[in-house]
Amino acid sequence: MLYPEIVVAGCGNPLFADDGFGPAVIDEMEKLSLPDNVLIVDAGLGGPHFIFTLLDPEVTKKLVIVDIADYGAEPGSITKLRVEDLPPGSYRDAHSWDLAEPLQRIKDRIEITVIGCQPARVTSPEFEIGLSDEVQKAIPKTIRVILETIGVDYGTTIKCIQEERQPGTAKTSCGSLKIS
Amino acid sequence: MSKVVEISPTTRHEGHSKLVLKVNDQGIIETGNWCSITPVRGVEKLAVGKTPEQVPKIASRVCGICPIAHNLAATEAMEASIKCEIPKDAKMLRHILQLANRLHSIALHDILILPDLYLPGTEIQINPFTAEEPVRTVAKRIQRLREIGQTIGQIAGGDCIHPRNTRVGGMYRNCSETAKIKMYDLAKEGLVLAKAQMDLMIAILRNYQARESVSVGGMKVALPKTLGYHNQGYLATHAFYGSSSLDECPSWDIDRFKEVRPWDWYMGEMEISLEEPKYPVGGTTKLGTKVNPQMEACTGIPMYDGQPVEVGPRARLVTYKHFDEKGTQGQNVAREMEYQDCFYEMIDCLDALNTTGKVVADYIPDGDGSLGWASNEAPRGTDVHIARVKDWKVQYYSMLVPTTWNFATCSAALKGAPWQLAEVIMRGYDPCVSCATHMIVVDEDNKLVAQKLIQ
Repeated sequence: MLYPEIVVAGCGNPLFADDGFGPAVIDEMEKLSLPDNVLIVDAGLGGPHFIFTLLDPEVTKKLVIVDIADYGAEPGSITKLRVEDLPPGSYRDAHSWDLAEPLQRIKDRIEITVIGCQPARVTSPEFEIGLSDEVQKAIPKTIRVILETIGVDYGTTIKCIQEERQPGTAKTSCGSLKIS
Repeated sequence: MSKVVEISPTTRHEGHSKLVLKVNDQGIIETGNWCSITPVRGVEKLAVGKTPEQVPKIASRVCGICPIAHNLAATEAMEASIKCEIPKDAKMLRHILQLANRLHSIALHDILILPDLYLPGTEIQINPFTAEEPVRTVAKRIQRLREIGQTIGQIAGGDCIHPRNTRVGGMYRNCSETAKIKMYDLAKEGLVLAKAQMDLMIAILRNYQARESVSVGGMKVALPKTLGYHNQGYLATHAFYGSSSLDECPSWDIDRFKEVRPWDWYMGEMEISLEEPKYPVGGTTKLGTKVNPQMEACTGIPMYDGQPVEVGPRARLVTYKHFDEKGTQGQNVAREMEYQDCFYEMIDCLDALNTTGKVVADYIPDGDGSLGWASNEAPRGTDVHIARVKDWKVQYYSMLVPTTWNFATCSAALKGAPWQLAEVIMRGYDPCVSCATHMIVVDEDNKLVAQKLIQ
């Protein structure tokens, strides 16, 4: 099958500054050695039609979407969202082939978690390459949250990321973690 | 007296576009303008100063649907400029990747047009998402074809959406013998499914063509036998893949190309004088609304020998396989006929692929500033990228993407059709609008000069 039991999809466009967060997280995760039942994929702008409409709930049980999300927090903060929390149109197929959104169709059969990072700067429709410092720094923590979400104990990496915590504070160097 | 009706946004394709239609008292289109309303982006400007390795990665991000075509065309434009010949096995892998992408796209297009069509022998318009038979079986077959395309693409390209195996000078790595066998098995499975899907879709399309009328939003609309006819020419650069050499491919000559401004082509300011609330989805634009395609269109009009041309599956079949059916359904039939060809060609490429062969050129020059171009026959037509590389820096870069070619041609094809069927004609082009948007400025000597954004 094209997509295995667990799929982690980094969504967004690196041509619009912080909108490239999802693909950047996937790029970083490429350095990890993950179990065979996990596929990490740089979905770019193609998540709805290349992935979400092609998942087989008989095979794929868990989908993690990594993206930016404007929820009024400090730039670089990350949050976990459920499909129900997403505003209408968030992942509507670009073809507008069907007013029902693909995630709504599969959410009862596949466990879906959206990990959203508050962007500092999204330049659409103007092109700008490169993440802001705040969002760049959120990548290690996001990977830790993804690994926790998919149940992969990547001991060394997690320890390394934990060491990034700033001494004397509960916060990491990339802002507070908000889990809803 | 003419009336003006607008369908905005158009649906069941990628990106944002609209149709502004001047119609007669019988609702027949006298002048049709199909234009992109996606804001202009400056990818070509962004590319200047980057390395030839970076630009294909940038190009593949301008569109959510066509990253593979853009990645390949951009990579090969760089190679054409620096005069780098890649090894045969790298070409085979790229070819397989491109065919896999086309296959997925045809299957996706089936889903997009099915709601316009009828189950033969019934008055039922097809809902591809229904759980009822026989549509359910067809939908599952379409999904399997998409899955096969994406899986083969993933193996050959390293990733099924943004291929990471391609590089200037060839491919990063060849595939293993096991991977080759897997692609083979998938292609053989897909060939059988593609034949069945093609036969079914052509039967459904012929059934639609034979109808006297169709229903659009509950309105009964007479179906003309000449739906989507136009007298523009066709442009295709290869039956399957593409080219980056005029010697190899005499059908694309940059000197015969020119792009004009939208305000020389589209209609000027008008007021909406026909509104139809029943038109799906949500009705047409409200009465009294001002529209101005000249100023709202976000794309230039490319000309080949001074005329807009059609690109896409029919253009390929007309140019290389003596196909001659005009109109919207001719276009859809041509697309279906490419289904099996994708697999036959893919199997030929797999036969030719030596998994122990080298896939990176021995020498990759830095570039002397020569102009290079590469065309890639993307699912929806000829995707031409043009580049100038000097000392491993990109000095000039431009993309002429398929739907840009088709905007003006489709606009001509709208004439004479009932306005309610304008979207059916448009969907025949399988448009992808978001990346169709750019502006090239040509100087008085017909030479390409800098990109300029529309103000």
